[in-house]
Formats: sequence, C-alpha cells, structure tokens
Amino acid sequence: MTREKETTLYLGPQHPGITGNMMIKLKVRGDIVVSAETHLGYLHRAFEKLIERRNWLQSFTILCRFCVPEPDPIELSYALAVEKLEGRVVPERAKYIRTIVSELARIQSFLLWYGGQSGSGGLYTLGQWSVGDRNYILDLFEDLTGARIYHMFMWPGGVRRDLPEGWMDKAYKTMDYLEKRLDDYNKLLFDNAIFQKRSQGVGIIPKDKALEWGVVGPPLRGTGIKHDVRIDEPYAAYDKIDFEVPTYEGGDVWARSLVRRDEIVQSISIIRQALDNLPGGSYYNRIPNPMKWTVPAGNAWAKTESVRGEIGFYLVSDGSNKPRRAHLRGAAYAHGISVLEKVLPGENIADVSFILNSLGVCPPEIER
Amino acid sequence: MDLINNLKEVFEIEGKIKNDFQIEVEAKKELVSSILLYLKNQHGFIHLNHMSCVDWIEDEIFELVYIVWNPNIRKTVMLHTKIDRNNPEMENIDTIWDQANTYEREFREMFGIEFPGLVAEREFILEGWTEMPPMRRDFDTKKYAEETFATRPGRENAEDVRETIVKRTGEEIPDFAKKYSRD
Repeated sequence: MTREKETTLYLGPQHPGITGNMMIKLKVRGDIVVSAETHLGYLHRAFEKLIERRNWLQSFTILCRFCVPEPDPIELSYALAVEKLEGRVVPERAKYIRTIVSELARIQSFLLWYGGQSGSGGLYTLGQWSVGDRNYILDLFEDLTGARIYHMFMWPGGVRRDLPEGWMDKAYKTMDYLEKRLDDYNKLLFDNAIFQKRSQGVGIIPKDKALEWGVVGPPLRGTGIKHDVRIDEPYAAYDKIDFEVPTYEGGDVWARSLVRRDEIVQSISIIRQALDNLPGGSYYNRIPNPMKWTVPAGNAWAKTESVRGEIGFYLVSDGSNKPRRAHLRGAAYAHGISVLEKVLPGENIADVSFILNSLGVCPPEIER
Repeated sequence: MDLINNLKEVFEIEGKIKNDFQIEVEAKKELVSSILLYLKNQHGFIHLNHMSCVDWIEDEIFELVYIVWNPNIRKTVMLHTKIDRNNPEMENIDTIWDQANTYEREFREMFGIEFPGLVAEREFILEGWTEMPPMRRDFDTKKYAEETFATRPGRENAEDVRETIVKRTGEEIPDFAKKYSRD
C-alpha cells in the first residue's frame, strides 16, 4: 500500500472555479484537502483611500465598483450612512424605488450565481439560460439608470431619477417571465440527482458556530438561523412589504442553494408589491451643491442585505466636504477567508469550487 | 440604556444610545478585550460585525472601532477606543473571534498597527510593499502614483484628447468629433 504524500495546489488566481480573482493554497493528500489558505491581493484598487480624496457625491463612481456582481447594495449602504450622519429624510416614493432596485439587483445576482454554482458542479446549461434571462433585468436597469451593471442610482436623499414611462409595465412583464422560468431551473438543477448528491452533506457550516464565525446571508440561513437585515433593521420600504425569509437546516451546499432558490421567489413578490403600492410624490430630497456640500461630523454604521449577505458601511465625517473614512464590510470578508479555511479541510478537491460558489465569495469586495 | 448602565457598573466606559438599533460605547484600549468578552459571554453579542480604524493624524491617534451584534435582541454595540499613533499597538482579539485575525492583518498592513501575538506569516494584500502603510493620512496616493508609474504617452496633461491625437498622428479631426460638450 502506498502512502499518499501531501501536495500543494494553487487554485487561482486565474481559474474558472474561482469566483473572481483570488488564490487558495490547498494542501492535499490524495484528493482530500488537508488545509486551505486564502491569498488575496489581485483586486485591491485602494477604493477606500480614493474615496477620502473625493467629495461625498463623487464617491458614487467608486462605490458601485466595490462588488462587481451586485453593486447596488453598496450604493444604498453608503447613502443610508450619509443620511444617518445628516439626518436627511428620504421621500416615500424613493424608498419604494430603492426597494425595487435592490430586489432587481438581488435577482440578477442570483441568476449569475445559478451559473456559477451549477457550472462548478459540471452543469453548464443552466448558466447559459440564467445569464440570458439576467439580460432582461439588465435591460430594465438600462432604461431606469442609463447603465446595465454600474448604476450610481441610489444616492443620499433618494434616487437619481423617477421611473420612466412604460417602465412599470415592462417590470411586471419581466417578473412574469422570470417566474415561469424558475420551474425550468428547478427541473434542471434542484431535481437533478447529481446536484443533490454532490451538494448534500458538503461544505457544512455548524449551526452553533455560524454566527461566531461571522457567517451572514444565505449561508447563515442555510444553517437554520433566520437573520436578514431587511427584517432585523428594516430600511427602504421593507417594513411595509410582506415577505418571508426562507431558512433550511443542514448548513451544507444543498441548504444554501435551497435558500437562494426560495429567495428569488420572494424577491419577485416584493417587486410586485412595491410596484402595486408605489406612492406618488418626490423621488429625491435634493442635496446642496455637491462641490460645497459638507456633512456634520460623526460616524454612522449602515447595513443592507445583499445577495451574499449583510453589507455594512462604516462612514466617518469630520465635518468637511470629503469623507474622513469610508470602510466597507463586505459579506464575503469572513466567508472568503476565515470561514473557507475552516470548511474546506476534509473536502474533496472537486468540491472546493462548489463550496466557494455556495458561500458567495466575492474577492473584489474583500480587497476593495 | 440597561446595557450601558450595566457596562458602567463593571467597566469604566462612556456610553450612549445612538438609535433604535445601535449603542455607542467608548473605553480605554486596555479594557477593550475584557468588554468584548463580557458582551459576548454575558450579554449574547456573539457576532463580530466589523472592525474599523480611523486615522486622526491631527490628534496623533488611531481610533479603533469594534462593532458587535446580538442576534436575540437585534442590537449592535459600537465600541470605540483610541491608541497612540506614534506607537500604535493594540491587543490581539482573534482568540475571541477568529475573523478578527483578518481585520488585524489588514490594520497592520494598512495602518502599521502592531497586534502582539497575532499569527500572520503571510501578507494580506500588499505583496512586497516597502512604502509606509498606505491608509495613513500622510501617505500621498497621487505622489506615489506619479513616482511609481509611467504616464501613458499623450496624456501628460489635461489637453483635449482630439488635439493630442492630431499632434501624434498628423490626421485631421473628423467632423463627428468636432462637436464636443466642453466647447
């Protein structure tokens, strides 16, 4: 009998199984992972330092670029933090529009996740479908904000512009279409015996350790813990909308995938309710001249629920026209490093990318 | 308010209610790990939401912020402390929360704060960095970029890019490019 020796594998930074650019240094014995170390540094763009050199509004060109798959929650977290510092009131119409935009961002990011999760398991068809369907949401964004991916739309005081004519009808039609498509996704992925076998019992996060490890979002709800910023500390119009927060027990890839599957259904319902009940009135509480706009000194911590989990923004003002400190806490900050390094040992090499996708790791948001 | 009063009985702190969901506490750096352990073990603040650092260069201090959350009562405590900027050292808390290791590695790299006992053999983000910690206020990003990177030819100044192209290529500006919003 031969003894298996320990080998070092470098997964990344250029690897189709990595969700972004990062490197995981794996020590493996045979094809079982013995230890994992996350190495970053490929996507650091010094955004937080750059924000300190820009005025409060100029930062928006940078904020959306923190996280590529889902830029909107970061804009919203920053806007909420500035509004907390200033005590700025946001009109009701703007809150509903923010809710719609946040949920559209959630759905489009989930559709992208479908591609990543299924592709890392060897099922490439679903990614083609979901990325194609995602384009319908990006079309809605283009009509509303002028851009498909980076919107710079939710800013302090409200949103940048009102809904264009015909947009609501188009949004309703898009939701109807996507709802029908979910059946196809379920049949292809969740009814698929290979996906079930590969995801059940894999990448387990223990329920009693999850919160202590800093796990948030679908990975946390996949352990059975019901925590969602939209119900714990409601923002935008979520306190006026009826929705459920799905949870599943198990803490494995399967439970996390089921949580995400059910959340898309909830997001479609939230968008429909927000459109049905959209109030009239202003969409923006106008800020002063941005070149002279100063924000009172103080600090603020604002959270939103992104598709990966809780996104927090710690913002400090010294009373000037530029932020003193802008510090993003991405949902993946703990997931991609300390949680991943705990979950991977004992797993098969083939499951590393599978688990990485299920945790929703986003390297741009870790490194900023 | 009960929590603030309880903390005041046990530790020397200043505290206030920030809003419906957040409590702000300030304490000396020597008390931080004890307060965090007390909040975690006695009051259910088991989730470390965030750690941050602010450089108050004019006061010669770094302000560290620890943000912890209680999932049962859905409340957040933001614990602030100040350390000397000229000799920045802070107690390592990664024995309380593992993910604090990541934050402390980042602060060591970006601000130059030492955490005695922090086990971190590898760099966090800045590989081979030899300059001063870049998130400090006295690190000049623009100067570093100008000294380190070469400028792309033709973009040395804010000259209109059409004129730059004409000078480089000798071509005429096409009609569609003549109309420009800055004109």
